[in-house]
Amino acid sequence: MKKHKVISNWVKPYSKVLILGCGNGELLKFLQENNNVEAHGLDIDSEKVSEAISTGLSVIQGDINTDLIDYPDKSFDYIVAHDILQIMEKPDNVLKQIIRIADKSIISFPNFAYFLIRLSILFSGRMPKTKLLPYEWYDSPNIHLFTVKDFINFCSKQNFKIIDKFFTGLGRRKIPTYLLPNFFAEFAYFLISA
Amino acid sequence: MMEVIEEKKFDKINSPNSVGLVETKYYTFAYPPKKLVLDSGVEFGPITVSYETYGELNYKKDNGILVFHALSGDAHAAGYNKIDDPKPGWWDNMIGPQKPFDTNKYFVICANVLGGCKGTTGPSSINPETKKYYGLDFPEITINDMVKVQKELIDYLKIEKLFCVAGGSMGGMLALQWIKSYPEKAEAAIIIATTPEHSAQQIAFNSIGRYAIISDPNWNNGNYYCSGNKPTTGLSVARMIGHITYLSEEAMHKKFGREYINSLKKNFSNTNKLIIKPSEIEKPIENGLNQEKKANFKKEFEVENYLHYQSESFIKRFDPNSYLYITKAIDNFNISKGYNNLATALKNVKAKCLVISFSSDWLYPKEQSLKIVKALKINNIDTTYVNLLTPYGHDSFLIDDEKFKSVVKGFLQSIRRN
Repeated sequence: MKKHKVISNWVKPYSKVLILGCGNGELLKFLQENNNVEAHGLDIDSEKVSEAISTGLSVIQGDINTDLIDYPDKSFDYIVAHDILQIMEKPDNVLKQIIRIADKSIISFPNFAYFLIRLSILFSGRMPKTKLLPYEWYDSPNIHLFTVKDFINFCSKQNFKIIDKFFTGLGRRKIPTYLLPNFFAEFAYFLISA
Repeated sequence: MMEVIEEKKFDKINSPNSVGLVETKYYTFAYPPKKLVLDSGVEFGPITVSYETYGELNYKKDNGILVFHALSGDAHAAGYNKIDDPKPGWWDNMIGPQKPFDTNKYFVICANVLGGCKGTTGPSSINPETKKYYGLDFPEITINDMVKVQKELIDYLKIEKLFCVAGGSMGGMLALQWIKSYPEKAEAAIIIATTPEHSAQQIAFNSIGRYAIISDPNWNNGNYYCSGNKPTTGLSVARMIGHITYLSEEAMHKKFGREYINSLKKNFSNTNKLIIKPSEIEKPIENGLNQEKKANFKKEFEVENYLHYQSESFIKRFDPNSYLYITKAIDNFNISKGYNNLATALKNVKAKCLVISFSSDWLYPKEQSLKIVKALKINNIDTTYVNLLTPYGHDSFLIDDEKFKSVVKGFLQSIRRN
């Protein structure tokens, strides 16, 4: 629910939103009910998409890696890419498409430079397994993990504007997380635009 | 005993989820000189349309749903025409109280297409000018012509804007054509297991069907209505080929496997009687034995039996010339004709769309549905799409499937009236 709140706080009411990797539409429903948005979704899984459509949502079954090119420029007020960029084949291409299609975009991802991950590699010498990254090295869908620093760097190179950001990590102790997000943030949310 | 059967029949008809007994209605228009101009330029009329309606048209007349049938369908989409009908209409699992096309909420209309043989004017109708059957004098028709005819019916029913149009296969082409031709005449469309243009493979299958009909000596250039000899062999071959393409390999395997008719096992030690012993060579083979061989060539496997059964019931209810005209209209279907591409062709579409394909449908594969989805996305049209995982092949849209039903129901609930 917390993740929904972070995203919903950034989305203006009555806007047109596309959620990438929307699954069965839980977040779409939340934004529809809380922000009165015109909610659209894209997801690859037939079962989840039919579940979403059955609840009255506008969802297209498709592949984010290949299908974003069909959407016209600025056809959405917001695109939400929640926790999916690291599983994309070409995250850079997906980000560029997102920026082209939406006025503003919400990108969220697990920060691979989170200090507990750093410590885990340092001391165990094995691929880190955390609550947010629970997979074994051989079956992880996260094929393009990156860090807060990587993301900020990429945005500045591409001239994407970072409008707002939100980090979760050390519970309520916000100050260290915001001073050194690349070290203390476990999960990051960015509101960006062209 | 008879009473029990009668009661059962009434149960079926009086079931709370059935539209019950329904009557086919007729509307005739395009009387000369105000004939309908067909895509070919030919002026044609009068035209009678047979149609059925289920549920009530509301006060605002904004709850109408027009469903389009596929190649072999008709206006009888739901309920029963007679108490002793063994089967209900072709989309009875979808249309009725509490069903996806809920007749407590919606006014559902289904009409037989132009060129059909179930009440709407077609090649088996009588030409009022010559007082003879049309046969091949019936003009060439297109999917767009079929849509124009149904638009006349909707105008006659005084419906300004339909709540939704829906159909599968050829019905999907009609739905797509409707939202293109009349962007202001439907809030939404459900486009199922179809294509924006018929492919070479699809044309090829239809062409074998047509070839079977016109090669049947009884076809007689389409003049068989008076001879009493319908080209039934040709039509049944056409139907068999069609039927194979409507099913999936998996569905056929599950349904029939390699089973023999009457569970007669092909045991080669028992077929010794078919092997001619050297002493018998000079003698003519017994007639009975020959008959048995012939029967074996015709029907030996369960799947053969099924195809024969299907085609036999089909030739009783379908007109071979209608099959020729309608498959031609389907083959000629290309919604982008006259445009640079599909997206430009669908530029004026306003309806919210639900596109559905089925994973096991190899006749109308998902790639064809995806072309429609892509074009709708390019035009910024509110689009919903799912490739449903079903094992039944192209016919999936006619099968009672919970997921398919809940997708259609959910979509209909999401439609807002503009």
